[in-house]
Formats: sequence, C-alpha cells, structure tokens
Amino acid sequence: MGRFGAEGRRKRYAMRLPDGPLRSFLTTPPPDPATPVDELPLLAVDFETTGLRPGQDRLLSIGFVPLEGRSIVLGGARQLLIRVDGAVGQSATVHGLTDDRLAEGEQLVDAVDELLTALRGRVLLAHYSDIEEGFLSAACERLHGAPAPACAVDTLQLQRRVLGHGWDELKGSQLRLWNARARYGLPRYRAHEALTDALACAELYLAQAEELGATTLRDLQR
Amino acid sequence: METELREVRDFLAAHAPFEGLPGRALDRLPAQLTMRYFRRGSTLISVGEANDTVYVLRSGAVDITDASGVLVERSAEGTTVGTSNILRGGRSQHDVRAIEDTLALAMSGDDFRELVREHPDLHRFFVELLASRLRAAVQSQQRTDQGGAILKTRVGELISREPITIAVTATIREAAELMAAERVSSLLVTGLDKAGAGAGAVGQGGEGAIGILTDKDLRSRVLAVGRDPGDPVAEVMTSDPVTVGPDTMAFEVLMEMVAKSIHHMPVVRPDGRPLGLVTGTDLIRLEHASPVYLVSDIRKQTSVAGLAELGRRLPRLVEQLVSQDATADDIGRVVTAVGDAVERRLLELAEAELGAPPVPYCWVVFGSRGRLEQGLSSDQDNALLISDEMQPEHEEWFARLAEWVVDALERCGYARCPGDIMATNPRWRQPISQWRREFGTWLRQPEPDAILNATIFFDMRPVHGDASLEQDLHRWVLAQTPHSKAFLAHMVRSAVDHEPPLGFFRGFVLQKEGEHKDTLDLKIGGVGAVVELARVHALAHGLAPVNTQARIEAVADAGVMSRDRAADLRDAFEFISYVRLRHQARQVSAGQQPDNFVAPTELSDFERRHLRDAFQVVRSAQSTLGAVSGSAL
Repeated sequence: MGRFGAEGRRKRYAMRLPDGPLRSFLTTPPPDPATPVDELPLLAVDFETTGLRPGQDRLLSIGFVPLEGRSIVLGGARQLLIRVDGAVGQSATVHGLTDDRLAEGEQLVDAVDELLTALRGRVLLAHYSDIEEGFLSAACERLHGAPAPACAVDTLQLQRRVLGHGWDELKGSQLRLWNARARYGLPRYRAHEALTDALACAELYLAQAEELGATTLRDLQR
Repeated sequence: METELREVRDFLAAHAPFEGLPGRALDRLPAQLTMRYFRRGSTLISVGEANDTVYVLRSGAVDITDASGVLVERSAEGTTVGTSNILRGGRSQHDVRAIEDTLALAMSGDDFRELVREHPDLHRFFVELLASRLRAAVQSQQRTDQGGAILKTRVGELISREPITIAVTATIREAAELMAAERVSSLLVTGLDKAGAGAGAVGQGGEGAIGILTDKDLRSRVLAVGRDPGDPVAEVMTSDPVTVGPDTMAFEVLMEMVAKSIHHMPVVRPDGRPLGLVTGTDLIRLEHASPVYLVSDIRKQTSVAGLAELGRRLPRLVEQLVSQDATADDIGRVVTAVGDAVERRLLELAEAELGAPPVPYCWVVFGSRGRLEQGLSSDQDNALLISDEMQPEHEEWFARLAEWVVDALERCGYARCPGDIMATNPRWRQPISQWRREFGTWLRQPEPDAILNATIFFDMRPVHGDASLEQDLHRWVLAQTPHSKAFLAHMVRSAVDHEPPLGFFRGFVLQKEGEHKDTLDLKIGGVGAVVELARVHALAHGLAPVNTQARIEAVADAGVMSRDRAADLRDAFEFISYVRLRHQARQVSAGQQPDNFVAPTELSDFERRHLRDAFQVVRSAQSTLGAVSGSAL
C-alpha cells in the first residue's frame, strides 16, 4: 500500500467534510514510515462491541492510551462508554458492560470525535487492529459521511513474527492478547475493559518492539 | 471522576510506601507516570548518571550493584528504585540492570520531589537514614510502655487477700500492733455500728470503711508530733478515703493514685463492703509480674524436681512476654535471670548436701547467658573459678559439686554443652592462676581455630560464690587483650566473616553473590554477627561490659564508634533478636523445638523490609571493622 495513495485518499475524503475532528484527523498526515521507533507517536486503542461485524454490531466502549516512542503516557489514558438505546444482550457476558451502565454513557459521536482527536498524527496500535479500524471507519461513515482510514500497527501480527511461524501453523490461542503477554512475564489484569486492554496491548507492543529489534515504523508494518 | 487506570492505581495501592497515600493522592498518581519496558540485560540507571527518573517495578526484576560491581540488592515487582540520587542530588552510585524482562512505571524527578514534599511519610520512607527507619520499626513493633498487662487487668483481679480492718474505737497502738502482726502497710478503719460484737475492736473483712491508716500516717501524724499512742485511731486516720470499684482498669487506678499522691487504694464492692487494698507497687509490678513470681518461687524450692517443674514454665513465660511486646533485650534478661535463679538455687542445695566449700570459689557462666541474652534454645556453658588457696585434696569437693549441679541443670531443661564447656570438665574447674594461664594461651595463640572456640570465655559472668574471683580475672584479661594484636586480628576476621544476607527476593533469602536460600539463619550473620562485632571492639579497648548492647554503648562512649553508628547497631541487634524471639515463641506454642531458622514466608512484609535494613547496618559495621583492622583497631 503506497503511502502516497493512502494520503491521496485521506485528502479526498477530507475535502467533502466540514471543519471538525474527522477532517483534522484526515488532513494531518500519519507518521512517516521512516520515523524511528524511539520517537514514534502511537495510540493504543481497544473497542468493546456487541459483535465482530463493523457494519452491524455496535460500539459500546472505547479505551485508549498514547505512546511516545518507548514510553506509555498514562496521563493520556481515557475510557469512554457509549450510550446505547436498547439491550446489548448476551455480549454483556464478554465485556461486562450492562445496559444500566451503558445508559449513562455519552453519545457515539462525542466518543468517536474524542478518539479522532487523540489519534490525529498518530499510529493506531491494536491487537488484531482490523476490528478497531473497521468499527472506527464504519462509525465515521455513518456519523460524518466519510471513513477514517488509519495508519495501524497490529500487535497480533507482530506476535506472529515473534513466534516465527506461518499463519496456519500457529494455534490461535497463542496469539491472543493475554497469552502473548505471558511470554514477557507482563502482569495479569482483570481483562476486558477497553482501557485495560488498550494498556495491555501497549505494554505488549513495547516488549515486541524490543524483541524484534525494530528501529523504524516500517519495521513494524512489514 | 472516573477512575481510569484502576489497574495501575490498585497496583500502587498494594505496595509500600504508596499504600500509605490517601485515596485522592493515589487516584492522581497514575496520570503522572509513564510505562517503560526493559529487556533482560538492559540498564535502567548507570553509575555516574545524573538520573532524574524514579522507577516502580511493575513486573520483572532488577539487580542493583555498586560501582565496584558488588550486588547490593535484588528487587522484584513493587519495588521503587532510582530515588536516592534524586533526593540527595548528584549522580547515581549504583547500576540498576534488568535481570528479567521488566515493565516499570516511571516518574519524573520533579513529580517525585513534589510528591514527597506533599507526603512527609513518603519522604521519610525514601530519604531518612535507613537507621531511623529501623528505629521507627523497632518502636512500632514494641510498645513496651503501652499495651502491657496494666492495660488489660481489672483492679479486682489484683486483690489476693481480704482487707485487714480495725474498728474506729481502737487505739493507735492497737492499730500499729495489728499492722505489724499482719505485715501490712495500711489498715481500713470501719465504723462503730458494724465493727463486730462488743469487746473485739479488731475486725476482719468488716463493712463500710470510713477511713484508712497507713505507715506514713503513723510516722507523720503520731511519731513526728509526739502523739499519745493511746489516742483513738480515728484522730490520725484519713477519713472518707478515695475508693475504686473492682471493675476499674488497673491503669486508671494507677493514674488516679499518681494524680492524688496516694499509695494505697481501697477497692470496694458495689454494696460498699471493702474487697481489699492495692498499692502502687502492686500496679507497677503488674507489668513484669510473672518473671518476678517465677524467680521468687524458684528461690523457695527445696528439690531438683521442684526446680525442674518451674523450669518448664519458662517457654510459656517468654511467649507471654513476646505477646506483651516486651523488647528482646528485656526478654533476654528475664530468661537469663530465671536461669541464674535456678543455677543459684541448685548450688545452694548442692552446698547444703556436700557441706561448706573448702576454699572460696565462683561459679561462672559464659556465652549468651554471660551476656544476659539467653534465648530459648541455649544449653549449659559454665565453669568453676577456684581460689588459689586450693589444695589437691579439695579437688574432689569441687568435682562432686560440678557433677551435682550440671546433672541437676540438665534435669531442669538446660542441655549439656556439646563442646563440654562445663564445670564437670576438669579443664574448666581450675584455680585462678591456672585460668590466667589458659587465657594467656588464647591471647598468644597463633591458631585461629583455637581462638574461635574460646571466644565464649570472653563473655563471662559470675552467678554464685565469691564474685571478686571473677572480677579479678576479668580485669586481668581486659588488661591483656588490647595488646594481643594477633588475637584481635583473628577475632576481627571472624567478626566480618559471617555476613548477613542482602535481603529477600520472592520468598528466598538473597545471599551476597546472588545465591538464594530458602531459610534465614537469624544467628549466624544476624544476632551472632553483632555479638562478635561488639565483643571484638570491647576487648580491643579493654572495656568491661559483657552484654552486647552495653558493649556497643561503651564502645561509643570510648569514642571508638560514632554515636549514630552505635545507635544503628543497637537497633539492628534489637530488631533481629526480636524477630528471632517471635519465631522461637511461635515454635514453642506449636510444640516444636525452638531454633534460629526462619522461612522468609513466615515473615511479614514489614519484618522483611526492616530485616533487610538491619542486615545492611550490620554489613556496614563489618566492612568498617574489616577496613581498620590492618591499622590500629
């Protein structure tokens, strides 16, 4: 994927938009692939959703925490609950977000705009980032009429490289966020809150970047 | 406010010193931190670096080494590193290197300085000399002046006999005669109407006390003013005395008595009838009641069997003293006093059976008993110093005495010395001149082993007989030791040889070279190391004290050790001794044989942290001693 092509697409989307967080996000270029890992600005993001289909399932909660190079900046951490009308059903058993708590959340548009503002000029970091990229774009499409293509680094992909096997040989469970962390002796958390998972992903990334000897953004996106 | 980063906050809240922060401060803390990752083998802080970051280890572990590469500490999750050069200013004196993949919470030097400025407890934790931390630990573990029996006892429980009373119509002389006959220092004076039938002026357990008469009243209101002893007692008694009910707490009564300057307090039943009298002495003695009673019971025994029976009460007594938070020093003295009392009583019984000694002698004890530091796992160490007037035919009397007493001591629970340092060994049953030769040989001895086996003889104390024999010998020995350079050099080597461990690491004892052990020996490298340090310093300067705390104090008085160092060392000694006693008391109550080996898992976080500090004090005293030993000690 040529950077130029991606940049061009972002600009085209931005032209159709009024001023606002999505337009700012799209018009601010993401870090250059040659950016050293030591200086790379990232935003570790995790979504809790009612399912895995971006067009149909709903976004319930967003957690994110920024990284500056090899430091996780805890002061920038946020967790946003999204108000949902109607029941979340059985998915509550996974993310622990009940209808009552979600009724106190904020409007989807406010939460997404806050995320877009935080993500501006940063690399989106997630474990299996397809979900976050897909849900973010779907939400922006619906709210603002344009998608939000992000520059992403995926810790699941990095873990696959760390383990050094082909896709098929790996058991899926070894790649799961919490199992991947065990390799580095990272602390155990009460899983499945968006912010906790985002933090867990950020910590895993620091360990992986060291182990892979990555020096630039390009090394992380190979 | 939504508690974001609850994981980080909760982690900090579970570890010292952050655990002590108020909730709001804890809530704010995570936002000031960044998280960093260090691969195994990478360096967090280097020697000479102007480090300006404090790290709290979130997972993994680090080794802290000094400029010469010697391991100072090994720390795992929950430990804070990098604070010392930030608070002190200047550059790091240590390398901090990850020995496992390590995740650390980092705080900027500015934020850290601000945090400790706002929270003096944190400041104290990080900055104050290790020693002050240790001292605070000693104090917080032992509140000797509080929490004792006096806080838990009701005054009614202290009354052991009915009050002695006298009718108000009795004369002063009758009252004095009654006090003498009953061996009491005060009487309750009861009203006429209820003072018993007719003639008898003296009542027993009478009702309604209307006054009290004390020794002091007889002195100041009768003798001093020349009053006629035939006058009625009513004229010199104190009317309507202050009284308390039997349920009043002992300490309240004591405070009342101090406030009113009175020494005798009638305890009165709810119906007004007197229950008895307590004195200030009764209340004060309450704190250490049991050893006092035990020792006085020992003195009354007339058989070895009776003494053996009483000896069995000792472990229980120690347990009780530990639970009352007595200091290790106090407990060591109590155990020693009980041991001395048993030994003295046995010697009296032996003399009664064998007849009077043919020449003067002194029975002495060595080692921990000599130092007034006996614990629960000590065996016999004793000897006979005999006057030089001794003739060959007297030897048999002393041999029989030794046999009698050592055997009886064994029956009383004091095991025989495995090294045979007992009066039954003819070598340790000698006239003074021979003892001098013995000590002289040790002092000139080129063989380190022979010296090390003899060290306990330098902790000698008289228990029975002619104490001047021991004092003369002791004085003579102390006049020799400062000049016995080879002897002192061996003692120094031994004193610095048993290094305390560095501390603890995930449930193990961490030794100097990073080696792990699963039990901690509180004697070697702990209590024993301080004993040796104190001994070698005392002998090098010819100082008389034998007790370790007293030796350290004397060494400081002599200007050989700084006051601070001495105070640190005494605190370290007290703390390690206390942990050892606690451990032994637990073993005794579990029906086990007391020993010196503690599993780190048995210790609280608090104990582990402060033991580590105490070990550091001992190690530093050892290295100072090791460094000066070449020159003049």
